[in-house]
Amino acid sequence: MVKKMLKKDFVGKVLKFGESKGLKDMEIYYDSSRELSIKTYQGNIDNFSVSNSEGVSFRALHNDKMGYAYTEKVDDSSIPFLVEEAMQNAIIIDSDDEENIYIGSDEYEEINNYNPILDQVTEEQKIQLTLDLEKEAMSLDDRIQSVQYCAYGDVTGETNIINSKGLSLSTKSNIAFAYVGVVAKNGDDLKTGMAYKATNDFFKIDSKEIAKEAVKEAVSMLGAESVQSGNYPIILRNNVACDLLESFSDVFSAENVQKNLSQLKHKIGQKIASDNLNIIDNPHMEDGFASTPFDGEGYPTQIKKVIENGILKTYLHNLKTSEKDGVSSTGNASRGSYKSIIDISPSNFFIENGTYSMDDMINGIDKGLLLIELQGLHSGLNSVSGDFSLACYGYLVEEGKISKPVNQITVSGNFFKMIKNIEMIGNDLKFGLPAGSYFGAPSLKIKELSIAGK
Amino acid sequence: MLRKDVIENILDAALSTGGDFSEIFVEDKTNTGISLIGGKIEHTVSGRDYGIGIRIFDGFFSVYAYTNSVNEKDLIETAKKAATAVRKMKQKGVQTINYQMVDQLVNPIEIYPDTVNKGKKVDIMQRAYNAANTYDKIITQVTVHYLDSHQKILVANSEGVCKEDIRVRTRLAIQSVASSNGEMQSGYFGPGSGKGFEFFENLDVEWYGKEASRIAKAMVFAEYSSSGKMPVVIDNGFGGVIFHEACGHGLEATSVAKGNSVFAGKLGQQVASSLVTAVDDGTIPNGWGSSNIDDEGNDTARNILIENGILKNYMVDKLNGRRMFMEATGSSRRQSYRFAPTSRMTNTFITNGQSTKEEIISNTEQGLYAKYMGGGSVNPATGEFNFAVMEGYRIENGKITSPLRGATLIGTGLDVLGKIDMVGNNLELGQGMCGSASGSIPTNVGQPMIRVSEIIVGGRNGEENA
Repeated sequence: MVKKMLKKDFVGKVLKFGESKGLKDMEIYYDSSRELSIKTYQGNIDNFSVSNSEGVSFRALHNDKMGYAYTEKVDDSSIPFLVEEAMQNAIIIDSDDEENIYIGSDEYEEINNYNPILDQVTEEQKIQLTLDLEKEAMSLDDRIQSVQYCAYGDVTGETNIINSKGLSLSTKSNIAFAYVGVVAKNGDDLKTGMAYKATNDFFKIDSKEIAKEAVKEAVSMLGAESVQSGNYPIILRNNVACDLLESFSDVFSAENVQKNLSQLKHKIGQKIASDNLNIIDNPHMEDGFASTPFDGEGYPTQIKKVIENGILKTYLHNLKTSEKDGVSSTGNASRGSYKSIIDISPSNFFIENGTYSMDDMINGIDKGLLLIELQGLHSGLNSVSGDFSLACYGYLVEEGKISKPVNQITVSGNFFKMIKNIEMIGNDLKFGLPAGSYFGAPSLKIKELSIAGK
Repeated sequence: MLRKDVIENILDAALSTGGDFSEIFVEDKTNTGISLIGGKIEHTVSGRDYGIGIRIFDGFFSVYAYTNSVNEKDLIETAKKAATAVRKMKQKGVQTINYQMVDQLVNPIEIYPDTVNKGKKVDIMQRAYNAANTYDKIITQVTVHYLDSHQKILVANSEGVCKEDIRVRTRLAIQSVASSNGEMQSGYFGPGSGKGFEFFENLDVEWYGKEASRIAKAMVFAEYSSSGKMPVVIDNGFGGVIFHEACGHGLEATSVAKGNSVFAGKLGQQVASSLVTAVDDGTIPNGWGSSNIDDEGNDTARNILIENGILKNYMVDKLNGRRMFMEATGSSRRQSYRFAPTSRMTNTFITNGQSTKEEIISNTEQGLYAKYMGGGSVNPATGEFNFAVMEGYRIENGKITSPLRGATLIGTGLDVLGKIDMVGNNLELGQGMCGSASGSIPTNVGQPMIRVSEIIVGGRNGEENA
């Protein structure tokens, strides 16, 4: 409570100081979080970390331009820094884009992303879960040589937006996650596997299930070999399809479209993907870690289809880009943190489930590959050109069956071409680890991609 | 940054449950970031990062806590809360700390960027933009990012260390996009340093701008690289990312101490071709990855990792050093107070060999010439790495011929190190950001031109049936 009072007091002082400098349109974005993490190594707790942190972003219109400044030192000494730096920053901006402080709306969706029970789980329970996870992972298969990492973590965060136009919004959320990475060994052959679970219901974290998945993955890759280079029909397992969707999600940002950095320019209403493809941005999704009643500018969030039956329906907008295009904001203004400027990001962004099971997809393949992991996503793809060339591994599929593990190969193609060649969409929608946005996809069967190996 | 008695009280509170070592890290950092898109300044942010990290050891067990709070009571509370994770009773005292401001020997700063008018920073960006944009009509978009940061740190521990240091970093990043017939390709250059604003004043900004555009133009007209095993010549500078990924991460105590590295237990053994000598040197004057002291308060050092192919040393931090029975090597780093420090690379490079650039190319019958590399990643447990070639060319009959795009190199560290069969004499460093256990930190990679006799190149196989 004391902390809350201090914060309100601080906000008042900043706005007052800004007014004294002649500022009219101002906004304060305040973020605070509490985190815990537990790591184990060989049957013991190896590392324990706790934190309490906060930060404040200030932005204001000065000479019709938006200036930003932030601080993690939330006390009176930072007030002149915030206001004066934001003003100086506004002065050097010469973009013609209009950025404004939002007046607020009467309607915001109720979102419940905070589970109070998580706060009642004791540290002992969390430690036990982490120890159990490591133990399970070591005991499931003789070929598991070691646990590379094993951890539990939880985060509780609160976000507030308060502005000089009378808007005052707040939202709170929490999340817990556990993950484990194992090394399987057979002779000189080493293979790794990892698995995770993220939820804000602690009791849904099943250490056995996570351990089983990681172990299965590592062991299944033992004995993997490269394959002959060539073009193959490819199944992207749900996590792989999700990684690609996430990596190319920038192309849906109206900011990138307007800055000539997306090939989706002038494509609204056009067919850009297979008929069966639907991509949805749903900020109100239950158990969606990116669910929120308002976006980074305080604008109400809304559910929309970005691609419907292969047709591009909308870009993702914030206030600035929507004004420029003469449309309404889609409520996708984002702030990575108080350190960032207003940008555009998806919320819970996913490819809608299709009807096919994994077996259906595998059955139809005479000779192809099922990819289960991509590597080097931060360097091996280019969202401007759509090209990707990535190290990967998975299984060879022959005559409708998985025949053997494959690694030391790369897969390459072009995202914009690939989404036109989706032959089957799976019914196994899975979400990745949340990080601001929350991406999901079912497995996809692609007509053909290029594989480099032997 | 904090009074001596306050520091001692915090270190004491951290040991109150029987830990055998405590440490405090205080950070106060100001940052400026300016973005220019299409010739106009689009946005700019300045900020102040401020916080305190407390670390406690009990044997191999470590505790970490951080907060942004500035008052003594909160800090003691945080230290005590962290200490509850150590469940012993006895208390070990704190040695009297000796406060010391570290001399700026490695990274002397002439002009602190916070003293420079923002207009001057914008001028540098405009110069880069103009050079990149006017390079050729095919260039359709240019973005320029300017970054400077001024980090003040204090690190003190229960063994009596108490040091304050200053790190200034400056960087300009230029991205050009070339478009032709509906194809878009980009080129990038991002020079950076551990200097003050003088870095920009002495930088050939126009050259970097033109180079980013030249790469984009070359790649928009390039064909897709073919696939398969072939000899690969990797040029100097950022090409050193191959050593960084294929080997450097596996030599960090972070993975070696727990046996999660293919290089664990191999000290004194041949791990690379005898042509390879590799060094991690945190003392290069004003280097992008240099600092006066590391984030545990140890002096930075020049560490020989591999000498003539023999593994000589790892990069070791205090905690992992306990497991390995090895001394810290001055390479313990962290992104900020939010991360416990661990062994990381600083400026890591393969040293000069005997061959000239011309000799290496003319001795290569067929293969791939990787002029500029993009980034990459590695799985230290298996040594499997991958990285992207940003600008590539075909080598035919000992000559560099047509441009190639979309090549990815994959392999395993030990295999590729053994297959380095020519090392050039044109060592250069290139700047990157390296993400790992203790966050994202500035690191230099580097090498002279090298040739790997055989490596898997991932590209395309003829026309995609799309």
